[in-house]
Amino acid sequence: MTASRAPDAQGPHVASPGDDAAWAARLAARDPAALREMIARHAGVLHRIAYRMTGDTHEAEDIVQEACLRLWDQAPTIAARHPAGSQAAAALRLGGWLTRVVTNLAIDRLRRSRRLSLGEVPDAEDGAPRADALIEADERERQARALVLALPERQRAAIILTYYEELPNAEAAAAMDMNIKAFESLLHRARAGLRQAFAGQGDAP
Amino acid sequence: MSMNNINPGSPLARALDAYAVPGLPAGFAERVMAAAEARPATLPALRRPRRAWRIGQRFAVGIASFGLLASAAAATGMLGGFDIPVPSASKVWAHIAGQPAIPAQASTPAIVAAAQNPVPASEAVPTVVAILGPVDTPEELAEVFRRIEDVRQGRFAARRARIDERIDSAIDRRRAAGLPLPTPEQEARLRERIESGQLRREQIVRDRLDVRRAEMEDRIESGQALTRKDIIEPLRQDARAIRRDALIERLQRMAPEQRREALRRLPPAERRALMEQYRARRTEEPVPEPLAAPVFPPDTPPAQEPAPEG
Repeated sequence: MTASRAPDAQGPHVASPGDDAAWAARLAARDPAALREMIARHAGVLHRIAYRMTGDTHEAEDIVQEACLRLWDQAPTIAARHPAGSQAAAALRLGGWLTRVVTNLAIDRLRRSRRLSLGEVPDAEDGAPRADALIEADERERQARALVLALPERQRAAIILTYYEELPNAEAAAAMDMNIKAFESLLHRARAGLRQAFAGQGDAP
Repeated sequence: MSMNNINPGSPLARALDAYAVPGLPAGFAERVMAAAEARPATLPALRRPRRAWRIGQRFAVGIASFGLLASAAAATGMLGGFDIPVPSASKVWAHIAGQPAIPAQASTPAIVAAAQNPVPASEAVPTVVAILGPVDTPEELAEVFRRIEDVRQGRFAARRARIDERIDSAIDRRRAAGLPLPTPEQEARLRERIESGQLRREQIVRDRLDVRRAEMEDRIESGQALTRKDIIEPLRQDARAIRRDALIERLQRMAPEQRREALRRLPPAERRALMEQYRARRTEEPVPEPLAAPVFPPDTPPAQEPAPEG
């Protein structure tokens, strides 16, 4: 399972309590070094989520960039709501905030592209930007990508957050703005959908 | 892990693990930094008033709106239409202070003076007939026309007072500007000319009213009941026709170019009505008095074809 993380060696960054509030304060003070640090810490995870959600490199980079810029824009508000030394500051997780933004942006873009194309999300062979990647990809990767991209957006996000990123259900639910029960129900449907699609490919789970 | 989990090492897990992710490009961080620097500063958050004040504000707006609507309804006489008594401020004060109510004073003394005796005493009807429902008796019809006459006389008086005021203010302006003033004889002639015009107009209106009144009396005698609309609408039509007649006469006195310009300025509906009325007048009066130029060419709109000089 961790093979998917091989191209990006960065793991989830664990911040000490209140650490993220201090970073938010520096971002609010328009400190470019703070933004650079946030990109270094979180961009890898965010890019993996965005890429697996969209299946498109350029789209994924755009989403991550947009999320980082939103953090830059929203930092004064975040810092004001999480003053240093408060309980709120101790609970602040900028990584979780960014994961939620990226997940929502990806879902929004997928829905928009589906509305524009009036059909399913195109699979890898359809898009010109994906064509090059597909040529180089092996059959198993193509199969895995097709399996994930065949899921509806929210089910896809649930699988990516819990399976690929190994987030606890509670964190994944928070990233998707859902309560835990609803998220578990969604995850259950997503796994069932994956198994069915996998069986349809001619193999057994 | 529960049975529902995707077990590590299972065929499905192996298949999913093959979904590799390319790394971020080397210059990604610099690109984001550049975009952040180019991004305009965010606007400060909007200040939201406190909840208690928001609710209070809505109450205040609601009460003020209700007060305005109620005042407007009282001012337009709507409440009287629903038989809701609306005491005037002077009556309320008289009730409180125990003094007789003083009649309301108008803003312009001249208008008040003119309106104080709108109807000659000989024409005044001492008793007021109550009108209940449609008008179906000669007494009720007489009461209707008495009220109409009251209103008319008040309007004529107010108009005369306004004309006097305008003449006086025009003379004052000329005096203030150092311009030559009309002699008393000239001023008297002007006032007389205006007064005769007023009287002529009043007579036309009165004649029309008499005709309408006779028609309505015939209808009531034949057993018909007249509603407010049956009475008011013909009178309004007459008033409009009289205004158009006056306008036609003014147009007839204008030079052709001036007349065409005046017609162009009229709203299309009013222009059409004016043309129809003029044609109807010509049909009724086959030999009209000779005009310097016809007001409307019979077949074409006046604004497009120059009126022939004659």
